[in-house]
Amino acid sequence: LLCSASDQTASVSSQSSLRLSPVLSLHSLSDMGFTESQAGQLFDSVSRLKGASAAKHVLSTLTVLFVLGLNPTSVQKLIDKCPELCMVKETQLQQRIQHLRKLGLVEGSLQRTVVHYPKILTVPVKSVKNVVQFLREKCQFTTQQVTEILRDSPAVVLEDLDQLEYKFQYVYFRMGIKQAEMVKCRLFRFTMEDVRCRHVFLERRGLYQTPDKKGQTTIINPKLDSILNVDQHTFIVDVAQASAEEYDVFQKLLAREWKEEELEHGSIEAD
Amino acid sequence: GKWATTLPKHPPTRLALQHFDATYSAQLGDLWPSVRVALLSERKYGALLNNFCHSPDLEELQAQGSAPLRLHQAGLWPLAAVNKAPQGETIWSEFWSIMPDKFGLLSYYLMDAASVLPSLALDVQANHTVLDLCAAPGGKALALLQTQSARFLCLNDSSVSRTSRLKRVLHSYAPKELLTDDKLRITSVDGTMWGEIERNSFDRVLVDVPCTTDRHSLMEDDNNMFSRSRVGERRSLPRLQAELLLAGIIAACPGGEVLYSTCTLCPSQNLGVVERAVQLAEENHGIRLQVVSLRPLVRMFQNTFHFAPDLHLGEMVVPHLAANFGPIYMCKIRRLA
Ligand SMILES: C[S@@+](CC[C@H](N)C(=O)[O-])C[C@H]1O[C@@H](n2cnc3c(N)ncnc32)[C@H](O)[C@@H]1O
Repeated sequence: LLCSASDQTASVSSQSSLRLSPVLSLHSLSDMGFTESQAGQLFDSVSRLKGASAAKHVLSTLTVLFVLGLNPTSVQKLIDKCPELCMVKETQLQQRIQHLRKLGLVEGSLQRTVVHYPKILTVPVKSVKNVVQFLREKCQFTTQQVTEILRDSPAVVLEDLDQLEYKFQYVYFRMGIKQAEMVKCRLFRFTMEDVRCRHVFLERRGLYQTPDKKGQTTIINPKLDSILNVDQHTFIVDVAQASAEEYDVFQKLLAREWKEEELEHGSIEAD
Repeated sequence: GKWATTLPKHPPTRLALQHFDATYSAQLGDLWPSVRVALLSERKYGALLNNFCHSPDLEELQAQGSAPLRLHQAGLWPLAAVNKAPQGETIWSEFWSIMPDKFGLLSYYLMDAASVLPSLALDVQANHTVLDLCAAPGGKALALLQTQSARFLCLNDSSVSRTSRLKRVLHSYAPKELLTDDKLRITSVDGTMWGEIERNSFDRVLVDVPCTTDRHSLMEDDNNMFSRSRVGERRSLPRLQAELLLAGIIAACPGGEVLYSTCTLCPSQNLGVVERAVQLAEENHGIRLQVVSLRPLVRMFQNTFHFAPDLHLGEMVVPHLAANFGPIYMCKIRRLA
């Protein structure tokens, strides 16, 4: 299983990686259960990191991931997606995983979340806490809902809190959607632009109304799920009952409206 | 926070939208959502090129993505540039950088491109005398002047301040030779009283009446027809419009043609007014009238504008995102005797 001198590609990549990480050898990797090609790919991923000691925690990271219950295939893919994990100290990784468990990510969903979005383990516990606190206090999501948000849309932990607040308030106040529905529809997976563009399109077509104080509208609004969780064609044809041409022009117009809006707000704030 | 705004509870723009939702959805049916989103989104302009200007900024217009639109088969209307491509839309401010030529004339006049249609539909021939009963600020009058075919042009608007604006526009776009007393008269009287001034005399009459100006009513709270204080004025619009049209009919000579136009989709301000005025003309003045088809004009421009299908009287340009012009309603009638 060791690479021979005649195996050009493997030797090149292993040599360059060996310089980066003296502790990492093909031998140790195969001991851990990686195949030869997986080991080669791991070297490649890790060598993408910049800096001499960048990947000094690679072995401990791999160990932590194995302890978490991931198999070599998942681990290799995960490192390929997010080699930065090899720069994180073991204790920190442990803390972050523990923290996610504490937030309610049970075995199974914890692993799925990490595999799907390994970047979540690069985020300090403190930042995750801030986002969780924000979701609970400012947006009034329940503990259970916050867990679901982390599980389904882990990228929230890296989002700018102002942007997150804007998105939440937009959907809550302008669209009249309650927290439970936001969670169910995995709102935080969508960009603000997507949400706003589809909503404003419907609103200007007269197909969506902001509920009044009593939560009432004179038309029946389409469900958030049918607005967000459908491909563009289905949205245009079935939900908005429009043509692709109209939506195409509309997206461009709206992008410009927002640009102008930002310029205006910018100048007001500068005053 | 950002959303706890203290907007007035019933701003006129909101009232206008409610009103339109109630009336236009019934009138336009499936078409209404398309028209609604277009009305509520950025409109497009057209630049009416000034044939009298010696340095038209054609290249600049084209650089901004405007596509030229030939307005008249006979070539009397060489070009008007119209913003067509959605990518190439141009904003007001960019257009306003127009420079006067060495005679002080501006190279183009910015207007809703569909607003040239009423002037075209009027079909002015050489030696015609033309009355524009509600002419200010002057876009359609300017379009008429561009043909240079009218023998005499009479422009009126009851608003004195708007009439002076009309004069300023004319002087910025037309050479002095075309604005002499024997070719042009500008008045500022109540158009409904025109019959007491001049009857049976004009070959062509344009009656471009005040209306709810749908686009403005939806977008601007200032000077809005749907503000609470103007309810009376708004309700009496159809009556005023019918009186103006009737005055225009009476001012036309037998055989002469009258073009009625608005910038609203509202049926009671459009076909309703035409029906009423035609009836009054017949009953009270013994004037018989005939509707003139605008189909040829519609066919000529159907690739540029969206026309409402199946209107039983007149033609209407309806806004659409891909051609965000209008609304413009037009109906042409000929005086028989
Ligand atoms: C739609 S605007 C005309 C726009 C003009 N034709 C153009 O193309 O620039 C209607 C005009 O009617 C005028 N008006 C209102 N009531 C009038 C009346 N009783 N007699 C004459 N003009 C009137 C208004 O002052 C306003 O300028």
